[in-house]
Amino acid sequence: MTSLSIDGTRTSGSDVRAQNVTACLALANVVRSSLGPVGLDKMLVTEIGDVTVTNDGATILNLLEVTHPAAKVLVDLARQQDEEVGDGTTTVVLLAAELLRRGNDLVKTGVHPTSIIAGYKMAMKEACKYIRDDLSVPVERLGRDCLRNAARTALSSKVLGGEMADAFSNMAVDAVLATKSKRENAFGSGYTYPIKSINVLKCHGKSMRESALLSGYGINATRASRAMPEHVSNAKIACMDVDLRRAKLQMGVQMLVNNPNELNRMQERELDITRDRVQMVLKAGANVILTTKGIDDMALKYISDAGALAIRRVPKADLKRVAKATGATVVVSFADLSGEESFDAGLLGQAAEVTEEHIADTAYTFIRGCKAVKAATVLLRGPSEYMLDEMERSLHDALSIVKRTLESNAVVSGGGAVETGVSVFVENFATALGSREQLAVAEFAEALLVIPKTLAVNAALDATELLASLRTAHYVSQECVDEASALALLERLGGGAAVRREDLRHYGLDLSTVSISGGSRGRLRNNFAAGVLEPAVSKIKSIQLATEAAITILRIDDSIKITEATMPEEPES
Amino acid sequence: MAQASMGNGTGGASSNRPGGAGQIGAVRSASAKSKDVRLANVSAAKAVADAIRTSLGPRGMDKMIQGARGDVLITNDGATILEKMRVEHPAAKMLVNLAQAQDVEAGDGTTTVVVLCGALLAASQRLLSMGIHATTISDAFQRASDKALEVIESMAVPVNLMDRAALIKAATTALSSKVVSQYASLLAPIAVDAVLRVAPPAALATAADAAAQTATAGADSRAASSVDLSNVRIIKKLGGTLEDTQLLPGLALTQRPVQTAGGPTRMTHARVALIQFCLSAPKTDIDNTVVVQDYASIDRVLREERQYTMQMCKRIKATGCNVLLVQKSILRDATNDLSLHFLAKMKIMVIRDVERDEVAFICKTLGCVPIAGLDTFTADKMAKVEVVEEVPLGGGDDKVVVFHSGTGAPLRTNSGDVTASATGVDGGAESGATTPTATAGPAAPSLPNHAARGDTVTVLVRGSNVLVLDEAERSLHDALCVARSLVRKRSIVPGGGAVEIEVSVRLGEYAASLPGTAAYCVRAYAEALETVPYTLAENAGLGPIQIVTELRRRHVQGERNTGISAKRSGAVADMLAEHVLQPTLVSTSAFSLATEAARMILKIDDIVMTR
Repeated sequence: MTSLSIDGTRTSGSDVRAQNVTACLALANVVRSSLGPVGLDKMLVTEIGDVTVTNDGATILNLLEVTHPAAKVLVDLARQQDEEVGDGTTTVVLLAAELLRRGNDLVKTGVHPTSIIAGYKMAMKEACKYIRDDLSVPVERLGRDCLRNAARTALSSKVLGGEMADAFSNMAVDAVLATKSKRENAFGSGYTYPIKSINVLKCHGKSMRESALLSGYGINATRASRAMPEHVSNAKIACMDVDLRRAKLQMGVQMLVNNPNELNRMQERELDITRDRVQMVLKAGANVILTTKGIDDMALKYISDAGALAIRRVPKADLKRVAKATGATVVVSFADLSGEESFDAGLLGQAAEVTEEHIADTAYTFIRGCKAVKAATVLLRGPSEYMLDEMERSLHDALSIVKRTLESNAVVSGGGAVETGVSVFVENFATALGSREQLAVAEFAEALLVIPKTLAVNAALDATELLASLRTAHYVSQECVDEASALALLERLGGGAAVRREDLRHYGLDLSTVSISGGSRGRLRNNFAAGVLEPAVSKIKSIQLATEAAITILRIDDSIKITEATMPEEPES
Repeated sequence: MAQASMGNGTGGASSNRPGGAGQIGAVRSASAKSKDVRLANVSAAKAVADAIRTSLGPRGMDKMIQGARGDVLITNDGATILEKMRVEHPAAKMLVNLAQAQDVEAGDGTTTVVVLCGALLAASQRLLSMGIHATTISDAFQRASDKALEVIESMAVPVNLMDRAALIKAATTALSSKVVSQYASLLAPIAVDAVLRVAPPAALATAADAAAQTATAGADSRAASSVDLSNVRIIKKLGGTLEDTQLLPGLALTQRPVQTAGGPTRMTHARVALIQFCLSAPKTDIDNTVVVQDYASIDRVLREERQYTMQMCKRIKATGCNVLLVQKSILRDATNDLSLHFLAKMKIMVIRDVERDEVAFICKTLGCVPIAGLDTFTADKMAKVEVVEEVPLGGGDDKVVVFHSGTGAPLRTNSGDVTASATGVDGGAESGATTPTATAGPAAPSLPNHAARGDTVTVLVRGSNVLVLDEAERSLHDALCVARSLVRKRSIVPGGGAVEIEVSVRLGEYAASLPGTAAYCVRAYAEALETVPYTLAENAGLGPIQIVTELRRRHVQGERNTGISAKRSGAVADMLAEHVLQPTLVSTSAFSLATEAARMILKIDDIVMTR
């Protein structure tokens, strides 16, 4: 044994590896049942009683209080997938845990971890190359349908799935397309889709069906005074980051009054400063004033007298988006270069109309017909707060997927088709590999099957049999078996329909909940034709990220936990 | 084995023993004590070496260290592991220091040096138990070390600094053991290019002139051959993957231009000033107040503030400045809404929160002078940069501000349009150095343009999480150090344990020619060296005994470049052919430092606890 004395505890070798893998598996088991269109939800309750109901892998893991450092790597992994792709967070965690489990088993049988790591890396490269070269289909020739299908696939596993999926996928596609903006800089121009600028309003009440994509920009705030008009057409909008309340002098300035008259005049002067500012804005032609700060009664009076609409306490993010959409400039100060105060009409933005509308019990202000860019607002309705939150998360996934699809320009078929295809491919690759890494590469291939397997299990289908025929389909599509036996296999799979061999690579599980009565559920089908699509980049990323995370954890063979310092450290000699 | 923790106790107890038992008893206890102390020290130090030996080499494993505050670190870097591990035993601490010394001297080989020292101590333990005196062992180790350095020098292959490919191979070897090893092919050229860019022209010029005589480069003057690594700035930006890591000429800042008042984010023909004062109206001290006595003064107070701020901004504008870098201030607001508003109106781009320790690098890169007050704000203190702009990184929303010369894109974007070949080599100091490289063929890169004067570069490291980012930074540091060692001492030796085996074999022969006890000690030293290839083989999952005996056989037959290759499963191969190379400096420094540390620990015969 070692006689190393350190200020803490140390675990080495297979012990630490086993601990790490156990922790990761425990984490993966939490999200396992939420994978896929028929995955189930989790209800997470915090200490203070906040409730979240979700089946989004990243959200679940974020809310769990994970303390084990290796398990934290998996949580990071899910977060990263969420940031980079926006969907597939459960997939990536399951895959990483499966790779770890299989890796650890291999170590137990005496394979050195470095060989496993090398094998995983090799397999990961091959897998990504295969997806990129053979499985992905360019988006150009698919058009809008493709985007809609990708969004629908992302939504299928969420609360917005099922019969609602059509409406919401359309909504997601329209919303993303509305944000299309040209990017120009030193690297040439292209289009970007800043989905952050899509405004999502959640409104409690009615059913999910009532959700809609609204034209124009909605703000969850109302006019500051009843005396103001509810509706302004040909709006000239002033966006201000200025306080329109009685002006106060800064700290450190003291008012010393010797004369009672002075007191009055001082107070008046304070009011006048704000009055002047308001009148400057009105004089410039503004009939809608938005500010992130307050407006006091005195200022409101001037504004309502002028027949203008003012909204106070607008969130800054909203203000910025409104400014962008209407072509306004956010004003932080009235000062001009002569040292005085002024307000230029050029700072105003324009919109066709600004109206206040009531949805359920809440009043919203909508700005329509913005001059500069189109804006999109998604109004979500739902029976409960939890539902609304989950709907927002689901919609975010769909929006991200549409954005990725537009940017990456390639899609693959979903429903376990890619994983099975890659698994078959990597297994063949392993067989052809004559070195020590072979075992690890083969395990990598096996590990990929965890996705279709879990999908089938979650859908209460016979995973073993389905997987067997799925693998056969992909085997036929990849390997040059002779025509006769290929046809025989196709015969068995296709259920009489003429199946072309090149379509077989798109074969995946049919998990559609709608067609339960139709009877095709629980069989294989061409998921590409069925419109179950995912962006290729999502699949590639998830395989890369999962492998990297698994390797990070497998590489650890020593864990040192430093005990908390009780005394200040002695200076070293 | 509990010697490590017993060490102190034994020392304390025996020194407190009452001396009434007579002289002879005291002497015996003293010699017994020194034996105990020595053994305790040796085993504590060995324990440290054992703890990190699994992270040696390209197939080494990582350590996960959980700090006292729950922070987690996953690393493979010997120096980092030892530093964070908080060992307690004083002799063990010496090994921690040893790793740090190697880190400072050579930057790489920190694990090797500790493993080597541990092996030497194990050997000395055996020698001590045979009754050989510590001083004899120590002296013999010194002789062995001197001889070892001779052998290493004889193995060294001179390298030409113009031979970028060779430098990259050495840097790749350093990176191959790291967590980020799969990106070695990307990071190694970055490290090499970075060092070559910041190397003083003199160092490179001598290399160009005297390319033939680089074998004697060790004799070059120190000034000409040192590289200041503070000229390479590594900035980390969370997001993207390591593949997006890139070398930027000149300067890049992660701070965003201030957008509060809608200021510009791109500036051509920029004139950049770095200010260290605040652009806001002075605040009164707590005790002092401004007294307003009549209503007109309210206006005056407000107007004064506006005027004051505006005058500052106007004076800045008057000097022609259009990009303003503002150092972070904790005293009061470095900028406020009012000054930002004025500056935005004057079309001046503002980047604030520049850290104090960034100032030196920025000034050196851009050639500007930090400006401490408005009165000293003059045009000559500013720097001219063609373009300053905020550019997006990859597909995400992350952005950095880059300062560049406007020709060609400064950054690689995710869309795959690599611009490495776009820019031509600019004039100035480097052209002499880069032109010969360019003739090497299409594979040779043309270095991107400099932003301004100043030979500095920025490496932008991207990574998906903080763990990866930090580890990438440490690994990159090692690779930079390797490249720097090559500028200092222009020769390389084969890696993969080839040096250790060769030295071991030659020392074995040398021991045979020595008379007396020294021969025994040198033999033990030689055998201890085999620990390095042994551990390498073990970590790579190979049969260590087979590999080491095969290596020894080949070296005895004169194949002196044979080592363990992790690239090929066959394992034993010619390291030069496999491109597994390391700077000679790393090896020599590891040998001499490990020997000195071992000698020092050996010579200690008592530990006295003082206050």
